[in-house]
Amino acid sequence: MRIVPADPDILYSEDYYENLARTLGEEKAAWARLPPAERERELRWYHAHFDTPDDLADWPPELDGGIWNP
Amino acid sequence: MSSPLDFLRRFAAELRSAGIRFAITSGMACVHYGLQQTTKDSDWIIAPEDLAKLRALLADLETATPAWRITYREICGAPLAYEFMAHGWTSHLRITEPDGAIQKVDFFGNAPRVRPEELAADSDGWATRHVVAQMKRTDRPKDWPIVHGLARQLGEHGHPEALLHLQEFNSLAAAWQNADAESRKRLVHRRPLLGVFQAASPPTADSVERLLLIERLIWERVNGQRYSQYSRAWRDFHRRWRQEAGREWPTSEPFAAQHARLLQAANAHGLSTDPLVAVSRAELARQAVAKAASLAAATPSEIAQVLPPLDEMLP
Repeated sequence: MRIVPADPDILYSEDYYENLARTLGEEKAAWARLPPAERERELRWYHAHFDTPDDLADWPPELDGGIWNP
Repeated sequence: MSSPLDFLRRFAAELRSAGIRFAITSGMACVHYGLQQTTKDSDWIIAPEDLAKLRALLADLETATPAWRITYREICGAPLAYEFMAHGWTSHLRITEPDGAIQKVDFFGNAPRVRPEELAADSDGWATRHVVAQMKRTDRPKDWPIVHGLARQLGEHGHPEALLHLQEFNSLAAAWQNADAESRKRLVHRRPLLGVFQAASPPTADSVERLLLIERLIWERVNGQRYSQYSRAWRDFHRRWRQEAGREWPTSEPFAAQHARLLQAANAHGLSTDPLVAVSRAELARQAVAKAASLAAATPSEIAQVLPPLDEMLP
């Protein structure tokens, strides 16, 4: 397993976010625009306030697909 | 109680201290890359040669002060052992931290669709975008926009590998335009679909979108064919194992004892270390391609235009 330099933090283009909005939806694109620290704060809030199963599949998606899971 | 993100950092630090090579992948990596909003569970690729060290670390954590609790989950996958994990199995654990926070953790040895020489992580332990994109080529519809998002990011960072993962005509055409000749030659071998951009007349958006559809169906079907070998093998093993008199699983024993118990059961009840050995990769791919072709009503010519090399789909 190789260790490679992390890509530098860059400002993605407006076209990137517009593309995200088209492919992942407006809400996810808006969330993606947040600085990483803000995204992490939001995720911590979800973890603190919700306790739902992460995935209904018994197997990780890469092995099972979990095709019916939301 | 600590959050899954805190666990991620703590556990990564433990792995690093123990000299265990790892990469955080899947959901948490997608959160890190800003393409997925929520996940709790974590997925780790561990170099198969380091699995004995991982088991030793887990045993140490159980005897630390304060102690962690490590257990296989009921649906445990394969034993966390080289002979299984090096052949594409996953192993599923529950790790309870000293403060009581419970984490579901899945381990990969040989990550699906990732060539061993391409397995890479950054210094913080995040699997590279390319690795995550390859792993996300599943048959879950929600994973494919993430493949595309990772590809867009690769492109914005100047990595020609974006061309391997982009899922939209406009993005592909632009990335092809910007790629140098050496990258084009290298990548069209891995992704034959890119060959449409080499034609004398530029392809239409509709024609490329159709080829993308067929190509994606092939990847989805190959994934399905591949994991069905594992899930079938595990279900058959589990069915036989469940009939064992007095069987209790998972037990309340320390992890090392659970591991020994699971290994013994795997041997006794015929859990194959390599479920893909029974069917050749070529035959597995042939069946998947046939299904994809049928679903898409694709012609042999269309299939030939998009079919990735076998060692790309099943390295």
